[in-house]
Amino acid sequence: MRIGLVCPYAFDVPGGVQFHVRDLAEFFLAQGHEVGVLAPVDELTAELPAYVTSCGRAVPVRYNGSVARLTFGPVTSSRVSRWLEEGEFDVLHLHEPVTPSASLMALWASSEPVVATFHTSNLRSRAMHAANPLLRSSTEKIRARIAVSEEARRTVVRHLGGDAYIIPNGVDTRRFAPDGALTRWSGTPERPTLAFLGRIDEPRKGLAVMVAAMPAILDAVPGARLVVAGPGEVEEISSALDPRVRAATEFLGSVSEDDKVALLRSADLYVAPHTGGESFGIVLVEAMASGAPVLSSDLEAFTAVLGPSPAGRTFPVGDGAALAAAALDLLGSPQERARLRDLGLKRARSFDWGVVAERVMAVYETVIEGADHSPVEPALRAGLLGRLRWPSRGEV
Amino acid sequence: MDVLQVATIIALVLLALSWYLSYSASRLDRLHAKVEGAVSALDAQLVRRAEATLELATSGGVDPATALLLADAASEALDRHTHHPLSHDPLDGQTFAGREGTETDLTETLRAVLSDETVQGLRLEVGSAGAESLSRVEASALRVQLARRFHNDAVREVRRVRAKKVVRLFRLAGHAALPQRVDFDDDLPPAVVD
Repeated sequence: MRIGLVCPYAFDVPGGVQFHVRDLAEFFLAQGHEVGVLAPVDELTAELPAYVTSCGRAVPVRYNGSVARLTFGPVTSSRVSRWLEEGEFDVLHLHEPVTPSASLMALWASSEPVVATFHTSNLRSRAMHAANPLLRSSTEKIRARIAVSEEARRTVVRHLGGDAYIIPNGVDTRRFAPDGALTRWSGTPERPTLAFLGRIDEPRKGLAVMVAAMPAILDAVPGARLVVAGPGEVEEISSALDPRVRAATEFLGSVSEDDKVALLRSADLYVAPHTGGESFGIVLVEAMASGAPVLSSDLEAFTAVLGPSPAGRTFPVGDGAALAAAALDLLGSPQERARLRDLGLKRARSFDWGVVAERVMAVYETVIEGADHSPVEPALRAGLLGRLRWPSRGEV
Repeated sequence: MDVLQVATIIALVLLALSWYLSYSASRLDRLHAKVEGAVSALDAQLVRRAEATLELATSGGVDPATALLLADAASEALDRHTHHPLSHDPLDGQTFAGREGTETDLTETLRAVLSDETVQGLRLEVGSAGAESLSRVEASALRVQLARRFHNDAVREVRRVRAKKVVRLFRLAGHAALPQRVDFDDDLPPAVVD
């Protein structure tokens, strides 16, 4: 199958959507499909994988309440059309199709069957409502809508109407599978390791909640250590801490992928005290795949990832005391942690790219089947007026 | 204002109106074509699901009572399909010819029959006819879900455009029947979900 994927954000800048597109492309390539990716770049000299075509330089611009690196304008437009013509794709898979960037332009120019994946859960309604009449005849070209989470689906329903099928983000679980090796973070019963991942200066990642819970944890388990991996001003955060908590906390700053995996594998408890803004808890899947018992806030995105028979413990969002109580309970019970670990490893498998990409492929096949059956000459014609329309690309 | 100016303005207005009408008509055309494609994709997946179920019934991998239940529900669904082929009757096809009942029955039978034990038992015998038809049932049941949702989305879009005053006034939809949603139970059996 010839698959065209379009990513709206600069491909050489790390980000959830970019990783999603990259992993999906590489999975289908490995299966023997022909895959092309169209995306903007941040640095024109950036090294790109062979399957990626650049549609121009991304420009930082304010959209949807934050600064995003997007691409637009006539140069991009002609590159998008050229890529579509040369690609001759059987199916076109656009990511974030209503973001004003490459995906929207590809949607505009496309004549092949279109699948769209919606990632965000925080679309601004004002922008969407203003643009709706403008976008409507384009969004009508979409034959299948995918949302990566229940929250993303609700956003689609609210702003575009209709529905979307939920296919979660994928994770390469083999990369995280526990290997039993001891690392510098491996804990002992007296000195258990609690792991925290995420930007330390971004409030919604919840470091403040974690830190608030630490005194109670240290009272009961004096040897407990908190390992914090994530970028941010360490000095600033650390100096504001209670001295006892500071002594028990190790700040790693931003870490490499390998170190992240090693930390998760060695953690006695992975704590996710996020307070909001998470559309999909990919980091929870990674922790589960690494065999780290999960303790997370009860955000909807997180409880969805943990599943119906939860593969992790939750506490009310922002509640440091509840976090401390749950953490102590788990630290005191190796059996319960072992149970969560096994459940987590099993649960993580349903987010493996093997399973997830299979579902995406099912969507492609369904859409192509529908497109093949569409009558070449539509049964109805609106009299003379029907002949006065503009020819769209590919049907001159 | 002289006559020429008035005539020019009228001509421009008429031109704009006719462009807008033709644009709306072709948009409606495209949406109808999308619905027709979606309904035939759904039909194809339903036939595949019924055929795979029949295969599972005759694979020898399940006990005779299970086999009979599966065969009964699957042949009922195939029967309905043969007597109401969509391609022969586009009008009937768009209302799905009342097949919702038999498809719901098939879904319910699959859910009742494919218990955790049965599914595990079938999956253990890798490469057997039973295991292979089970995976075909799973694959087609998933695609039925997808196809039905995509179809209903397409129906909603057509209906929204057709509800517009301009479209109704100028009869831009011609004689095409108003597409209907297709609603039936297509939940996957819990045992095959993970």
